[in-house]
Amino acid sequence: MKLGGFEELVLLAVGSLGDDAYGVSIKEILEEKTGKKPSIGALHSALYRLEEKSYLSSSEGGATNERGGRRKKYYQLTSTGRQTLEEANELRMAFARQIPNLKLGLNDE
Amino acid sequence: MSNQIPDPPRWADWLLERFCIDHLVEIIQGDLYELYYKRNLRKGRRYAMLWYILDVFNICGRFAFKRNRSYSNKLDMFYNYYKIAIRNMMRHKAYSAIKIGGFALGIAICLLISLFIADELNYDKHYEGSERIYRMLYEWNEPGDMNTWPSFQGPAAKVIRAEVPGIEKAGRIVPRKWYLAGDNLVRVAGTEQNLYETGFVYVDQELFDIITPTFLEGDPATALTEPNSVVITETKALKYFPEGGAVGQMILLNDDTAKPMKVTGVIEDLPANTHFNFDWAMTMAGVEFWPGEQNSWCCNNYHLYVKLSPEANLTDVLASLQRLKTHHIEPYQKKRSSPAEMEQMAKYFAVNVQPIEDIHLRSQGIADRIYVYGDIKIVWMFAAIAILIFVLASINFVNLSVAKSANRAKEVGLRKVVGSPKSMLIGQFLMESTLFSFISFVLGLLIAVTLMPYFNELTGKTLSVPFDLWYFVPLIILLAVFAGFAAGLYPAFFLSAFQPIEVIKGKLARGAKNSVLQSSLIIFQFTVSVVLIVGALVVNGQLNFILNSKLGYEKDQVLLLQGTNTLEDHLLTFRDELKSIASVQNVTISEYFPVSKTQRDQNQFNREGKEKIEEPVGAQFWRVDDEYIPTLGMEIVQGRNFSSTMASDSNAIVINETMARELGFENPIGQRITNGYTRVVIGVVKDFHFDLMTTEIQPLSFAPGRRPQMMAVRISTENVKETLGSIGSLWDEYQPNQPIRYQFLSERYEGMYGHVKRTSEVFSIFALLAIVIACLGLFALSTFMVEQRRKEIGIRKILGASLQSLFSILTANFLRLVAVAFIIAIPLGWYVMNFWLEGYEYGIEVSWLEFALAGGSIFAIAVITMSFEIIRAVNNNPADTLHAE
Repeated sequence: MKLGGFEELVLLAVGSLGDDAYGVSIKEILEEKTGKKPSIGALHSALYRLEEKSYLSSSEGGATNERGGRRKKYYQLTSTGRQTLEEANELRMAFARQIPNLKLGLNDE
Repeated sequence: MSNQIPDPPRWADWLLERFCIDHLVEIIQGDLYELYYKRNLRKGRRYAMLWYILDVFNICGRFAFKRNRSYSNKLDMFYNYYKIAIRNMMRHKAYSAIKIGGFALGIAICLLISLFIADELNYDKHYEGSERIYRMLYEWNEPGDMNTWPSFQGPAAKVIRAEVPGIEKAGRIVPRKWYLAGDNLVRVAGTEQNLYETGFVYVDQELFDIITPTFLEGDPATALTEPNSVVITETKALKYFPEGGAVGQMILLNDDTAKPMKVTGVIEDLPANTHFNFDWAMTMAGVEFWPGEQNSWCCNNYHLYVKLSPEANLTDVLASLQRLKTHHIEPYQKKRSSPAEMEQMAKYFAVNVQPIEDIHLRSQGIADRIYVYGDIKIVWMFAAIAILIFVLASINFVNLSVAKSANRAKEVGLRKVVGSPKSMLIGQFLMESTLFSFISFVLGLLIAVTLMPYFNELTGKTLSVPFDLWYFVPLIILLAVFAGFAAGLYPAFFLSAFQPIEVIKGKLARGAKNSVLQSSLIIFQFTVSVVLIVGALVVNGQLNFILNSKLGYEKDQVLLLQGTNTLEDHLLTFRDELKSIASVQNVTISEYFPVSKTQRDQNQFNREGKEKIEEPVGAQFWRVDDEYIPTLGMEIVQGRNFSSTMASDSNAIVINETMARELGFENPIGQRITNGYTRVVIGVVKDFHFDLMTTEIQPLSFAPGRRPQMMAVRISTENVKETLGSIGSLWDEYQPNQPIRYQFLSERYEGMYGHVKRTSEVFSIFALLAIVIACLGLFALSTFMVEQRRKEIGIRKILGASLQSLFSILTANFLRLVAVAFIIAIPLGWYVMNFWLEGYEYGIEVSWLEFALAGGSIFAIAVITMSFEIIRAVNNNPADTLHAE
């Protein structure tokens, strides 16, 4: 299955947030890491697709006052999602290694 | 805590709940509220609100269809209808192309004509308070001798201003050739080269106060108050003063250095939709054409426009306007006319007004011969043709949809079996036809834009498709939907009424007969086509008649030299030198010629001594020289022409046959007639056409006189180019600063009938279009019929039918319809074209020849159209068509 660029970022964000991955928190960490502001619509649309492709699973809960008493939807990486991320990363690294003098430090993505 | 709870707009919430996937609404709305809360804290309420709304729209856009996919199949069905429609269109490409193309053509024509009509109806509506502006008219209401004319006497304007209550403004204009009005040679003071310019008028300042042209330079309120001032249009200002600053400059007319004119204003060019037509407006202030002219009630030379005050009542104003007649014209005429004439005048003469908005389209029967008016009849005719063509195209559309019904029958049957209610099927077919209609409208717009330049050439207008009007696109969309529904209604009910069992059993029998509806539609289309063909033939025949009939003078090989008055003292030497050119046969000097836009002079003639007893005969009174009649090739039927060697001929007059008849002369030669000055008739010239063929030839007379404005030169038919060259170089010797201006008399004559030529072209084009549309329909129907009867054709062939007999069997049905159409068209075409020809005093008659030609061609076209498919079908190998059985 194919994975779009934005979808990959969303998967990474969900994975890195652990237990606290829901709409607003994912949006915020994406803003922090990429410096770009994805719209909440685009984000939900990606989440919806990823869930349909079963890269993500979800559970509901955690209503707060500032949400007007509405529940959150928490997302977790599934094993397929994890595997897809790894494949994507491997592909990238394999390419990157063939470029002479490209620094591949541990922190580099 | 209330400030803790977010308060985004309710309608946005509603939108979200309405359009978002149900099971996600709560989650997404929660996220939105949270974002709102946070944005509110960071950047304030307005910012949060804005983003909230944007996000809601964003989400609705993304999730709207997903919701419906999971919960309703309405949209799915819609999508399915769309897919089926497109597939059907693609499967029958030629058929769909005909259906859409024909409709688009109809739409394009309709649009073009609508634009034309809108433009015609929009003349002279742009003045401030235009509903209060009127043109004044004089009327003569004698039964059998009705007459209306817009020219008034010089003092009429000031009399109205002083004596008639309710008149806000009254202004005069001289829009015809008269003194400096008309055309002149122009140069800027201080330069040498003269240029010839047309479009000069005399106007009062008050006329400008009424029609308020837009001033680019100069003061609108006072531009024409000083004597010798002139206001020019932007085009002319740019031509003569390209550096700007036209106001204050002096111009010279006809080298008259004694009387320069001062430019006091520059106005925008007059819009295309006004009957006024001038580029140079010279003031009337301080102008008097002869001593006492401005106070004399003798002569009608001014067009007069009035603007009523807002509270004035038209009936009252009209009543007091009759003062012109009772207090001024009648007292003036009393001294000059018999009591009988005065009685007639009291009875029949009246002052009237015409709303300025009516001038362009409703001036038939107004004798001014200055403006080119439109004609409300033409507008109605165009409207009728537009509607006809649109109906023809719509009929094709309906016809083609119904004709294809058998192909859709199985689909309908299956849909019904699976549970589709009739209403949904109707909806489906309506949607389909709306889709077709939309495609047609887009295509039609494209065609209209492409055809626009040609259409403009045809109509002499400068129209464009008004995409910049705010309501244009919505209107087109609305029309497309409406047309789609209207055209789809019948097919929709027809198709959705199929019985599933019959259809699926394959029993949808369609015999050799067409349905009544289809038959009548074909008849209608071909009737219209035949009428239009007859129309085109008749108009064209009349045009040929006009251009080729004997006019009583020879219009070919005659050159009209204009502006010869500028030769002044050299006029006669120039003429003599012209004559010495070998190929020049004759030269005459005059300004009266038998084509429009040359001088006219109407006089009243009586037999000498009978002035008080008999009614005078109104006749043209033309001043010519002794070479006029031979140069123009006119024929003397009695008596003789003038002779320059006979001194007594200065009192002579030559009259035409009509005048001799109206004066009641058995033997006119030697009779004495008077128009205030007595002359002896020495000859009678054969009647010749000096006016349009729409009117009968009127009385006319020639008297000797020198009018230096124009020369007519008859040249031999050989070496025309060289002759023109030598005339040109001779002119340059005499007038180096002024380009020569000439036209062939025959060109001027043809120019008088430009509108007939136009009507002929319009008819031809419409006839062609009607035929194309009718043929498209016939082609599609015959294709369809052939498809239906393929097996029948195969069997007939096996049994030994010849190709000819097959062909005649297949075409018989349609040809019968065309024949019926032809029979209906005969009286219709005959009536319509006779009605048109009634407008001509001299013309052709509608003959059986036109009908034979129209009928023959329509049959030929119909057979050719059908033969494409039929010949192919007839030549098929029967084994191919029958093997499936």
